[in-house]
Amino acid sequence: MPHTTQTHSKLRYWFNGAYAVFEKDVRLELRSRYALNMLLMFIASTLFLVVVSLGNEVIGTRVQAALVWVILLFGSVIGLGRGFVSEVDQGTVLLLQLHTRGSMVYAGKLAFNIVLLFLLNVLALGAFLLLMNISVENLWQLALVLFLGTLGLSGTTTLLAAMIARTRNSGPLLAVLAFPLLIPLLMSVVAATNTILLNGGWERIQETCVTLVAFAGSVISASVLLFDYVWRE
Amino acid sequence: MCGGSDLAYNLGYGLSFSQSNMTLVVKRIKIGIAVWMTAVILAAFVLSAATKLPILEQTARNLYFHVPMWFTMMMAYFVSAYFAVQVLRTEDLVWDMKVVEATRIAMLFGVLGMLTGIVWSRFTWFLGTGKWWGSDPKQMMAAVQLLISGAYFVLRSALDNPRLRARISAVYTLFSVVSMIFLLYVLPRLTESLHPGTGGNPAFDKITDPTMRLVFYPAILGFFGIAWWLFDQRVRLARVEEDTEGFYIQ
Repeated sequence: MPHTTQTHSKLRYWFNGAYAVFEKDVRLELRSRYALNMLLMFIASTLFLVVVSLGNEVIGTRVQAALVWVILLFGSVIGLGRGFVSEVDQGTVLLLQLHTRGSMVYAGKLAFNIVLLFLLNVLALGAFLLLMNISVENLWQLALVLFLGTLGLSGTTTLLAAMIARTRNSGPLLAVLAFPLLIPLLMSVVAATNTILLNGGWERIQETCVTLVAFAGSVISASVLLFDYVWRE
Repeated sequence: MCGGSDLAYNLGYGLSFSQSNMTLVVKRIKIGIAVWMTAVILAAFVLSAATKLPILEQTARNLYFHVPMWFTMMMAYFVSAYFAVQVLRTEDLVWDMKVVEATRIAMLFGVLGMLTGIVWSRFTWFLGTGKWWGSDPKQMMAAVQLLISGAYFVLRSALDNPRLRARISAVYTLFSVVSMIFLLYVLPRLTESLHPGTGGNPAFDKITDPTMRLVFYPAILGFFGIAWWLFDQRVRLARVEEDTEGFYIQ
């Protein structure tokens, strides 16, 4: 059937474009390792700051969950802010605009951000658990919450990163824009992490997981709808 | 930018017959709002229905001011989101002006509602505890709304090109609506509230004296009217500024 093949090839064309953007970002990142190294150093030093300031004080699970998520939030906002700014700096925006559609760029960047952020969040959370001497029984639950939180985080920051790339001296602007929007996410993940650290059982975090999936789904859908307005000239 | 040459731009202070007629109607509505609000404020302080409950006592009169301020803030916020859709749809800078002014009104009523709320809660809910801020869901939501409005203005000040500024900041307003809807859903599940009708508390109409509602509902209408009045004035002022200065000072 000619119609389906056409739709199929269109989808394939779109997927190829998105993958090309993703691959380009991965290659550039592996070449310079800027975001990766900076984020690793940021998270390592912030964690160390927390450990040093706490001393031998024993803190409750709620505070632990709050601390680690605030660190992850700051880390991601700092790390993902460069995604589109670097395209502007290198003068490659026009090239991308000519060769790919907006949705491809968004999908590629989003995929890259999710991969980068999830990798870093796993490392950061692992280091935090180690440094604070916290043992977790349900590691897969924690990993799930971490992954869903990362989805929402990347979904929100990718569009905002594209927005701040259009502004002048965009440095700390992303944090100002992103934090108010991330509050529902932060509240959910902190509550879920707290429950997991207290070993509260799957039933109690189930609803939060559904909320996180819905949050990620709606911010990503909204971003897809709004991205073209930010991207085109 | 546009120099105010096209007709649609001048609507509201033009001199043709139908427009001046319109201005007259608007003026009469505004006089109506002034009379209405004067009556509401008088009734709020004169009627004695609200003074019977312990702890609450005379402070119950704050219901007529504090709650309508929140309603006005939320309405102004959602109206600004509607204007943001129009910005993206039409690329007309008039709509951008309206987003700014609606956001500003939302911020103003948000700050007023927060001040009246903080003082009210300090001497009722937190009587004897010395607390000023208890992370109540509605309080948090209002605080987040104020943060979003603040971020909106910071974003605007970082953009120079008027068309780009209109578009990007409209995208931010719409994107924030998604997050706000989630906040509305998430907050009641994760935090406890002392407000009526939430967290197992009795609903508003169960604990509020019926005569109080006679003032409360008109007060909501009155505050909406004041918000519209302020909005209308700000938009007209912005247009005059644009005509005289040649550009729109945000």
